[in-house]
Amino acid sequence: MKNKKTKKLLLAVSLILFLVALLSGGIDAAPKEKKAAPKAKAADVKAWDCAGCHKDKKVLPDSHVPIKEMPYEGCLVCHIPGEKNAGTLRTKIPGSHLHALKGVKCAQCHGKVKKPAPVEMSKCVACHGETAKLAEKTAKVKPQNPHESPHYGTSADCNLCHHQHAKSENLCAQCHKFDYIVP
Amino acid sequence: MKKDDQSEKTLSRRNFLKTTGGVAATAAAMVGGLNLLPAKAEAACDALPKKWDDTYDVVVIGSGFAGLAAAIEAKNAGANVLVIDKMVLHGGNSIINGGDFCAPGTKLQQENGVQDSAELMLKDMLRVGAYLNHPDLAKMVAFNAKGALEWTESYIGAKYTKLNFHGGHSVKRAHGTINSSGSELVNKELAKAKEIGVKIQLRTKLVKFLSNKDGRIVGVEVRKDYKFPDDNSGKAAFIKAKRAVVLSSGGFSRDTRLRQVHDPRLTDRFESTNQPGATGEALLAACMAGAMDVQMDWIQLGPWTSPDEKGFGYVPLFCERLVGYAPMINPKTGKRFFKETGNRKERADAIILIGDPVIIMGDSYAVNKQIFPMALQKGMEAGAIKKFDTLEALAKEYNIPVDVFLKEIERWNSYVEKKKDDDFDCMIFKDAQPTVAGPFYAARLWPKVHHTMGGLNINTDAQVIGFDFKPVKGLYAAGEVTGGVHGAVRLGGVAMADCIVFGRVAGTNAAKEKPWG
Repeated sequence: MKNKKTKKLLLAVSLILFLVALLSGGIDAAPKEKKAAPKAKAADVKAWDCAGCHKDKKVLPDSHVPIKEMPYEGCLVCHIPGEKNAGTLRTKIPGSHLHALKGVKCAQCHGKVKKPAPVEMSKCVACHGETAKLAEKTAKVKPQNPHESPHYGTSADCNLCHHQHAKSENLCAQCHKFDYIVP
Repeated sequence: MKKDDQSEKTLSRRNFLKTTGGVAATAAAMVGGLNLLPAKAEAACDALPKKWDDTYDVVVIGSGFAGLAAAIEAKNAGANVLVIDKMVLHGGNSIINGGDFCAPGTKLQQENGVQDSAELMLKDMLRVGAYLNHPDLAKMVAFNAKGALEWTESYIGAKYTKLNFHGGHSVKRAHGTINSSGSELVNKELAKAKEIGVKIQLRTKLVKFLSNKDGRIVGVEVRKDYKFPDDNSGKAAFIKAKRAVVLSSGGFSRDTRLRQVHDPRLTDRFESTNQPGATGEALLAACMAGAMDVQMDWIQLGPWTSPDEKGFGYVPLFCERLVGYAPMINPKTGKRFFKETGNRKERADAIILIGDPVIIMGDSYAVNKQIFPMALQKGMEAGAIKKFDTLEALAKEYNIPVDVFLKEIERWNSYVEKKKDDDFDCMIFKDAQPTVAGPFYAARLWPKVHHTMGGLNINTDAQVIGFDFKPVKGLYAAGEVTGGVHGAVRLGGVAMADCIVFGRVAGTNAAKEKPWG
C-alpha cells in the first residue's frame, strides 16, 4: 500500500515538473522587449549621443556621417524620401528618438516623475492636434484612411500603433490587408 | 506499465476531473496561460486573496454587444459596474460585425410590407438549428428581439436604415445599421455605459474565476496591462464581485486548438472572420469553476467569405446582398450547385464538398441596387471583387467552361422571370431581374470559421448552469460564449438579437444578486 502511494506521489511530482517545464518553455519562447537604458539617465542623454544609452552597441551604419552635436535639421539633409536619399527617419528609429531629436524632453510627455508611466493620448493631441483633423489630412491614403475607420471612427488611441519605445505596429493588419508603413 | 497507466489515470481523475468536469481536462492541457497546475485545480473553493485590488458589485468580462448591454442594465439597476476586456480596443467581434439585427414585427418591416411574427422567427431558428436549440432560450430571443431592437434605438441611439435578408430566414427581418457595421451599436453602447458611470478597463485578461466554499463566484483573478497574446505580460490582480460576474467574452472561432478538439476538420486550412482575440480561455475558465458546456462541436463556417482577402472582408457584404438576385456558380462545371438562399451550414458544406472556391456573381442591375457602394469599392480595391464587361470575360477569368455557363445563366434568367427556381428552389425576390446587364461583378467564395454555436449552458435568466444542473451562484453569461440558443446553425442577424436580449437579462439579474460580503 505504502509503496504504491509513494509511487503515485513520485508520478504526481514528475507530472507537475513536466507541466512546469512545458509551461516555462512557452514562457521563454515569448518575445521580450529590448531593455532600454535606465530612465533617469536616458533623460539626460543628448539625442545625438547614441552611446549614451546604447553603450558599445553599433546602431548606425558604418558609412554614416558623424552626428556629434548634429541638430535634427542636420539629419534632414540626407534623410528625405526618394531615390538616392537616405529615406525618412520616421520608420527607421523609434518615435521617442524622433521626439528627442526635435528637442522634446522625456518629462514633457511623462511629467517629472521617478517612474514614468504610459502616456495618455491627450498628451499626443495636445501638440499634434485632434485626431479628426489628422484624419482629414490622411483621407486620401490608400487603401483606407489609417486615422478613420468604420469601427473606431477617429477615436482610436495613437499609442495603439505609434509606439514610442518599441517598434510601431500596423494594428489594422490584424484583420485587413492594409500594408501601411507606420512611423 | 499497466500500473503506471493506472496511477496516472488516478492522478488526472483526482486532480483534474473530480471537481471540474470533462472539459477541464482539455482545458488544463491547453490553456498554458492559466498556469493551471494540478494542485491548484483541485480546489473548487479557492484560496481567496487577503486583499482585493478592486471591488465592484458586478464585473463584466468582455466589451461587445452583450457585455455592454449587461453593464448598462446592471448600472441602471443600481450596481457599480466594471467591464474588463483583454484586448487593447473595446468591442471584440461586435465592432467588426456586419450590423444586421433580426427582429420580427417591426416598424421597418411594416414600411417594407413584410409580414412577420415572433412565432415565425422562432420557427426559422428551430428549423435551421436542426431543432437542437434549447427551445426556451431560442424563444427568449425570438420573442424579445423586437423589444431589444427598440431599446437600442430609443435608449442607446443606434440607427437602422435598411431591411436586409439572410439565408435561412423566411422573410426579410435583418435591420441594417446606418453604417453597415456593428460599430454603430457597440460604440453607442460604450458611450452610454461611460455616460452613466460604468468603468471600462481594457488590456485586462480574465485568468480565473474565484469561488468560495459554497461554490459561489466571488470575484476574478485577472492580468492587468495585459498585451495580447502574451500570457506573461501584465501583472496579476484580484477583483471582487460583490453581486455577480457576467461572462460575455464571445466565441472561440480563432482558437484553432480548441475548435479542433470539437471539430477536427477545422485545421488552420480554414481562416476565421473573427478578431484575433476570439479564443476560448475565458469559457474554459468558467468550466473549471463548475460551468457546464453544451454543443461545443457546432461550429459555423461562413459560406460567403473570400480567399482573396483577409478576415471577414468585403465579399460577405457583396455575396449576401446578391443571393436571391443572382446566381452562384461552380467554376469547374459552369453550373449552379446549390440553393443560393440556403442557410450557412448547407452552403458551406456544399462548397467544401466541391473542394475549391466557387463564384458569386451579379449584373449591374443587381449590384447597383443591392450593394453598399463602399463595400463594392473596397472589395474591388482589395482585388477580391472583380468587374467584367461581358459574361465571356468573367468565364475566362475563372476558367469556367463558357458554353455551359452561358446556357446556365439563361436557365437562371428564366427562373427569375417566373420567380421560381426549378433546380434548387432558391428564393427569388420580387424585384429581381434577369442577369443580363453588363458590367458584371464576381467574387470567389471559400468558407471561414465564423461563429461557435456551443458554449456555456444557461437558463432563461442567463444564469450559468453547472455540472450539478443547478445555477453556478454569482455567474451569468450572455452572447456567443453561451450555447443552446442557436442549435446547429446560427441564422444571420440573430447574434445581435441574442447578445442584446440575453445581455440585458444577465445585467439586470446580476445586479439583483444579494451581495456575498
